[in-house]
Amino acid sequence: MSSNVQFLDPRKSQNNEIDSILRNLMNIQGVSAAAIVDSDGFVTHIHRDFEINTDAIGASVQVVFGAAAKAAQHVGHHLTNMVICENNDGYILSTPIDAGFILALVTQREALLGRVRFELKETIPVLKKLFTSYLAN
Amino acid sequence: MHWFESQLAQLDTLADDYLAARRQPAADIVNVSEATRLKRAAFIDAVQSVVDKVVKIEGVSACAAYHDGLILAQSAEASNMDADAFGAIIQETIRAAQHGETSLGLGEIEQIVIVGAVNKLAMLSVGPIILCISSPKGVNLASVLSQAK
Repeated sequence: MSSNVQFLDPRKSQNNEIDSILRNLMNIQGVSAAAIVDSDGFVTHIHRDFEINTDAIGASVQVVFGAAAKAAQHVGHHLTNMVICENNDGYILSTPIDAGFILALVTQREALLGRVRFELKETIPVLKKLFTSYLAN
Repeated sequence: MHWFESQLAQLDTLADDYLAARRQPAADIVNVSEATRLKRAAFIDAVQSVVDKVVKIEGVSACAAYHDGLILAQSAEASNMDADAFGAIIQETIRAAQHGETSLGLGEIEQIVIVGAVNKLAMLSVGPIILCISSPKGVNLASVLSQAK
């Protein structure tokens, strides 16, 4: 006898939600790429509106975040919650999620830094829970 | 309730809705995540809408919203103002006022107004953000904001 119960794949729905979060971040004025980078510097999820070398950005984000985190430890600031690179033509913001994963945003100069930072700060707790659940499944 | 009060009340409601969504138990994290994201977007869109409307009011020279001293929403007309300097002053002012919150028993800070010889600046706390409105000193901000439609 067949059952009417449908087994949903939780990883699929979590993965879809992670994609929705990145898409939402891309909707912010001036944001041109949103990526999740694993602890080895590989990009696991990305949304972007320009051609980007994903391997290079993934590795660079991990290197920059690692260097900033080390600097923070040297001055007794303990954990690093966000690294903001202010560049000539925009910003790169990176925030740790869980298990070495980092959320990185690339923005144009006209992006409103407070808007992007607010969205990142509010998004991270949810992403942490999604990743904890995702990695556990 | 006049126009500006109703706008602030609406923002407060949206901010409360968002904060309530954020506090939901995370048993169903996917749905909680989506609900929180949508409530946050509704709040931020409403903030941007108020900023765009306020800056069009005669007598108002600039309007912007800040979070932690960094600009979160500004009108297209105000894009030439020094947003970073504005943000720094706001953050410093809020910090100073928060000392009074406890030592003078003021309660949570809702509004701060700085009047200079040339211009004045009103800062209003709305949920997690600070809404800033600037005008020439001679303008009665309360009056122009209340009469706007």
